[in-house]
Amino acid sequence: MIVYRKHGSVARWENGTLIRVTESGTAIEDGDYFECRPESSSPRAVESSRVLEIVRALRDLQFERLIITHGIAEHECDGRAWTEETERIHISLTQGRLRVLVDSTTRRLDDLFTIAHALQRAEPAERAIDRVRLEPNVTAALLPHLAGRAPSGVRLLQTAGGIDGYGDPILEAEGDWPNFYRPSYRLRPVRMPLNLRLECADTHVDEDLPRAVALLGPVAGLTIRVLVVDGEAVYPATVTVASIRAVAADRIWYPYNGGSFGAAMML
Amino acid sequence: MSRFAHAVREELWSRGRLLESRLSHGEAHEDDDGIVATDARNDDYVAAAELELARLREVMPDGFTVRLVAESGTEGTTGTITVRDGALSIVTSPAHIEEDVALLRSAGFQPAATPASSRPVFLWQNGSASVLLHELLGHPFEHGITPPPLPAWLHVDIPLAMRRATFRDVPLLRMQHVRASQAGAPFDPPGDAVEITLLDGGAYDPLTDIVTLRIAASSAGAFTIREPRDRFVFTGARGEPLRYPGVICSREGQELVVGSIAPVMLTELR
Repeated sequence: MIVYRKHGSVARWENGTLIRVTESGTAIEDGDYFECRPESSSPRAVESSRVLEIVRALRDLQFERLIITHGIAEHECDGRAWTEETERIHISLTQGRLRVLVDSTTRRLDDLFTIAHALQRAEPAERAIDRVRLEPNVTAALLPHLAGRAPSGVRLLQTAGGIDGYGDPILEAEGDWPNFYRPSYRLRPVRMPLNLRLECADTHVDEDLPRAVALLGPVAGLTIRVLVVDGEAVYPATVTVASIRAVAADRIWYPYNGGSFGAAMML
Repeated sequence: MSRFAHAVREELWSRGRLLESRLSHGEAHEDDDGIVATDARNDDYVAAAELELARLREVMPDGFTVRLVAESGTEGTTGTITVRDGALSIVTSPAHIEEDVALLRSAGFQPAATPASSRPVFLWQNGSASVLLHELLGHPFEHGITPPPLPAWLHVDIPLAMRRATFRDVPLLRMQHVRASQAGAPFDPPGDAVEITLLDGGAYDPLTDIVTLRIAASSAGAFTIREPRDRFVFTGARGEPLRYPGVICSREGQELVVGSIAPVMLTELR
């Protein structure tokens, strides 16, 4: 039997409303049986200044949806205890019939303004492109979908570091994922890759290629719809990730699935 | 200041075996500074949810994957039973479980066929037209978008209210129910109309004005309709409104039950 406990608080800005939540709970797994229930959590003050600071920083963006969260959680599982602090942004921006979706961290606010500026200049008609450079926030969203079907010439790896949903260290791994993701005490942990990264022998990504700066819809399979900045032109395009020619060595972490390190990628 | 509080008991069963059991409770207070929420326990709500869960358990059918959800709180006590059989599911209550499980069993024998998204005529059986109206009218209402003109014979009631799924959520303007009725709209269904029995979900995108409907069981098997809202035309309807067994509406990650009834209806795509 495995017993897991979590005490947490989160401040969340959701489309104009600030919500502060404190809760704690226990999850028990006994074979294939799962049970969870709240514990008596003592109310505590939830710090919301960080969230409100981000709201102020983004006040000039015209968004369709904006969710900013800052949370602190204390975990305990089988005698191991650890603490985790998270900051997340989910934003959707629109122009005409185009919608940009970004999941990011509060450390990447500049990216949002760059994307918003490009979107404002976008023409509606889709163009075909042969070669493209995917920016890190786009590749980060793509990586979880490469598990089990990464094109030849690249390696999809789990990056060592941090703690998984059972309190075990996250190990360096490729293919046979040893760790578990537990986003809430109310959900069964799921075995899946955490903190993915993609490696390619060629790390030189052409700076002059058209740049896919943002997703225009959720990733489904290996075909993605993206917003492309091509010199002065900005337009939507659909790209299929059939082969990857280079992946840059500089990586940025994004909160897609169990975590994903985006890096500039050349198709 | 407004206050919301509830307790929820939930169980997941697979062919008579208990796989998951959950208790959740909490309360939220909202004022000009926002919402403060905690997992505070109200023993009366927990007891009422336990009682409702026991009532759901008594009528739970064997041989399926079944999710029981009993909720009690400031907005009353409700019980919901979701029964899944492969790709098909229904959402029901103790009062209707026998007839709804019978529908689920019969829907499972529908033919598998080539996806029929290009077929323009649909006959919406078993109250399933309420799901079409949910996406075609209800979600646009929630976004403040004007509905398309409806034929004079069709009356649709979709009241909106601020609702939330849990104490952790921000209330949103959501549908309370979809109730459609008809008067004087007889029709002769064309022989090639696709008869729709059960849906697996739907969506409406306010940016593109496109409606998506995932048909789970029909005379043409499972398929997806994805069309601009203005392509749907209501051609006719007959009989009394029928309760459709199964609309759990998800928006912003918040799942809410939306009661749905509609007569048998015929639609075309223009």
